[in-house]
Amino acid sequence: MLTSLLQVLEFVAWLAAAVAVLEIYLHIHFTYFDRPWFVPATVVAAPVLAALAGHSLAAGSLSSLASAAAAVQLVSALVFRHVVRGKHSLPIMLLAPGFIGLGLLIAYPLAFEVYLAFHDLKLTTIMAWSRTGHIPFVGFKHFVNVFTSSPLSSVTFWQLFGRTIWWTFINVFCHVTGGFILALLLNSCRRFRGLYRTFLVIPWAMPQVVAILALRGEFQSQYGFINIMLGRFGVAPVQWLTQHALLTCTLINVWLGIPFMMVIILGGLQSISKHYYDAAAIDGASAWQQLRHITLPLLRPVLGPAVTLGTVWTFNNINVIYLVTGQAGGTEDADILVSALYKAAFTFYRYSYSAALALVIFGILFAFALLWLQFSKGSESVYG
Amino acid sequence: MAEDRERVVLALAAHRRRRTAQAVLIHAALIAACLICIYPLLRMISVSLRPGDRLISTDLSLIPAGATAASYLNVFKQTNFLLWLWNSLVITCVTSFIGVSLAATGGYAFSRFKFPGHKLGLTLLLGTQMIPAGMLLLPLFLMIMRLGLINTYLGMIVAYSVTSLPFSIWILKGYYDTIPRSLEEAALVDGTSRFGAFYRIVLPLSTPALSIAFLFNFTQAWNEYLVARVVLCDAQRYTWTLGLFELQGQYLTQWGMFAAGSFMVTVPVLLIFLYSSKWLISGLTLGGVKG
Amino acid sequence: MASVTLSRISKRYQEATVLREISLEIADREFMILVGPSGCGKSTLLRMIAGLEDITEGEILIDGKIVNHLAPRDREIAMVFQDYALYPHMTVAENMSFGLRLRSVAKSEIDRRVEEAAGILQIKNLLKRTPRQLSGGQRQRVAIGRAIVRKPKAFLFDEPLSNLDAKLREEMRIEIAKLHQRLGATIIYVTHDQVEAMTLGSRMAVMNGGIIQQVGTPAEAFSRPANHFVAGFIGSPTMNFIAGALEGGTFKSPDLGFPLPGARAAGPVILGVRPEGICVDKSDGASLSEPVPAVIEVVELLGYKRNLYLKAGDKRLLATVDASFGGKPGDTVSMRFQIAGIHLFDQETKARIG
Repeated sequence: MLTSLLQVLEFVAWLAAAVAVLEIYLHIHFTYFDRPWFVPATVVAAPVLAALAGHSLAAGSLSSLASAAAAVQLVSALVFRHVVRGKHSLPIMLLAPGFIGLGLLIAYPLAFEVYLAFHDLKLTTIMAWSRTGHIPFVGFKHFVNVFTSSPLSSVTFWQLFGRTIWWTFINVFCHVTGGFILALLLNSCRRFRGLYRTFLVIPWAMPQVVAILALRGEFQSQYGFINIMLGRFGVAPVQWLTQHALLTCTLINVWLGIPFMMVIILGGLQSISKHYYDAAAIDGASAWQQLRHITLPLLRPVLGPAVTLGTVWTFNNINVIYLVTGQAGGTEDADILVSALYKAAFTFYRYSYSAALALVIFGILFAFALLWLQFSKGSESVYG
Repeated sequence: MAEDRERVVLALAAHRRRRTAQAVLIHAALIAACLICIYPLLRMISVSLRPGDRLISTDLSLIPAGATAASYLNVFKQTNFLLWLWNSLVITCVTSFIGVSLAATGGYAFSRFKFPGHKLGLTLLLGTQMIPAGMLLLPLFLMIMRLGLINTYLGMIVAYSVTSLPFSIWILKGYYDTIPRSLEEAALVDGTSRFGAFYRIVLPLSTPALSIAFLFNFTQAWNEYLVARVVLCDAQRYTWTLGLFELQGQYLTQWGMFAAGSFMVTVPVLLIFLYSSKWLISGLTLGGVKG
Repeated sequence: MASVTLSRISKRYQEATVLREISLEIADREFMILVGPSGCGKSTLLRMIAGLEDITEGEILIDGKIVNHLAPRDREIAMVFQDYALYPHMTVAENMSFGLRLRSVAKSEIDRRVEEAAGILQIKNLLKRTPRQLSGGQRQRVAIGRAIVRKPKAFLFDEPLSNLDAKLREEMRIEIAKLHQRLGATIIYVTHDQVEAMTLGSRMAVMNGGIIQQVGTPAEAFSRPANHFVAGFIGSPTMNFIAGALEGGTFKSPDLGFPLPGARAAGPVILGVRPEGICVDKSDGASLSEPVPAVIEVVELLGYKRNLYLKAGDKRLLATVDASFGGKPGDTVSMRFQIAGIHLFDQETKARIG
């Protein structure tokens, strides 16, 4: 326990040192770019420092490291001298560590994923890769496989796609409707509102793992609450987890997702000035008319981003389906695209195939996003 | 005249009755919804209190007959519960600290400066929210494996550090936007450097947002399961999510311990959540400006 | 204290030119007011003096030294902001001593100066409070105190009174005037309120559209406005303007006309006359013009004066008369203009003619 803690602290120290070095580098390049000695001095210094840093490497790779460092520094020095010219020094210095981190941990993996998709990394080739860093190139083979063969054992891509659309639509619909009803109820009650709100938010506040596993336990055919209650009404026990897996997952996800929508919509409802309703009441509008003509239109700016976010999160939701069906012997009938992706990669070890599948899924999302942007821009011009 | 008055009184009474009936219905519906929301939690408590010989039963009562705290003790004695919590704590704290530090400075840069790539940067940050979790996990996992960081704290920290960063930058930028620039200008005239104005004035005033960002980072990492399952394989390194998952297998579920462990983890998370939402609402009133 | 010189200052944001070749000399210990409507560039100019905005062209000199490239903290100036900009997380005393603490001034000296400034501004009892616990007027004083403590070369005030209610504004105006007398400081004060400009400054620069329209004492700006804009901006209620032409010693406009002896110019002009310069149904000693008929539209009682909204032809004019005046809406009256109070402006250039 203690050694690993020390390891971690050491890591943090190294990280702080790396950030400090980065900032010093940037500071020099922002302040002294004008001096005549700037370019030559830094281009000479870079390989020296690189050699010092990599002193444990073999002589051959050391010299190539040094020349690479010199080349990179030449480009960098010229850019700072002629293009950047010391402008925007503070924002760049503030953002540099974060964005370099993002680059290493998001941009580089994405690029690597594209690389993977065109090569063949799976259980049989992974040992060779660990040793040599080489995997065979296979072109579009995996992309073809994504559409023609199954990611798991029997379910096809198209089934997954259709199921994902269905899953997303039903969930978002239930979330928004349920959240809306609850928000309306909360908004119209005066006493105990805070207390109700606290209780109603619990599904969202609980750790997802705990909530999903607990609910999964309640759907268990013998000892789960659902079947016990059904049994009291004379209904035979239903095999929720094996025969109705998708329905079970949907019910669980709806339970989890309504509070978030409720909170957002409640915030929106409370920001609608009471005066609008007063004016409408004087004009003679019924409660239903008020809902349709005042509440809903004025909620649009709040609902818009919430629904968009909710849709993206639901589409990408691995947790519920994997935790309910992911263990050995679990069913595939509830899988959506992203959960199949996770299983294909980490249960079946089909790494390159999964990379290709991931890129396809991302492509679908991206296309949706573009369509959505077009749609919302269009409707914005109507509503102003 | 008297008839008119009577009619008014009757109408008022009917109106009041309707109002009361409405209110009763609303409260009834809300109470029903609340029950649905907390029932799983209540069940968890009741299962955790079941005595050892009746761990698996179809009994639905809230407080079971012969309720004991044995399961709670068993969680500590028979599993590595404390170790799991410790692992989670280390990873989560370091991740949150890194995330908030980077977001504090990054959010400030986005809030106060207009530099080329400003808009692009914000859009990219937003865009990363859309990447499906599994998509990034795969290459990240392979990279971690290549670096030999599988099954280590470092591997987990590397994997977690950056996922909350975009959202944290967004929160902090939003908060910085509400701090008037005249405060920094006054500091500049008073004698600070540009960075000094940030460090001495803006940062101390941003504690609510920093706390929120920290809590957000914290809960995200604390509750995480999928990445942990991929990176950690040694039971000694399990976070509490992995440990708890172990307790609820497909065929054999240690109901009592699982319920007890779940409950013990859930309570602090719930409390943190409720506490941090209060921060969100109150905020800091800046009396230094016109208020 | 020091002088501040602005030499051909221009400021451009991408395509928009906000300030054009502003040149201004502010002498040591002078109270200079920059006044003008919103958007005229006065705040931008002040911020450029402070170093908070870049200078596109021109030079700023403080105490004879060019300061264009100096950071705000090196210019030895102090600024009072419109929203006071007090640091919320510090007490009043800490707010006031912040600048001195940054410069590593000795603690005893800091305490002495803070006490002194607090005494001048009567905020000694507030030193331990935080800004949140103060009223608007108190915050204003603390902001001024923060500036005094620094003993700067010049004070810059950016519309400090515009967030106060009317009564408080009057009080603080007097305080600031007394402060100037007491400290003998060089003050550059920006406001859009011409009443503040008239009462506070020893000299003022009226600005509009990024150009200085007139520099001079308040009296000069009031009685000899350099152009149509200054004439309309200074003075409350606003000056009446009648567009017309001068021909052969007579002023003629579509709605009214009267002889104007002694007018040397000819051609299209704008005639300006202040409401106080219109006499209604009277002909006392002061040299007045020939009567012009008008109809009363609205009468407002302002205590010891009355506002008469008159209409001659299609032209509406405002005249201020004694409260004893008995006219009612609908009455026809005859207006006479005080010759000495008539200003003529060229219709094209808007500059003053006579």
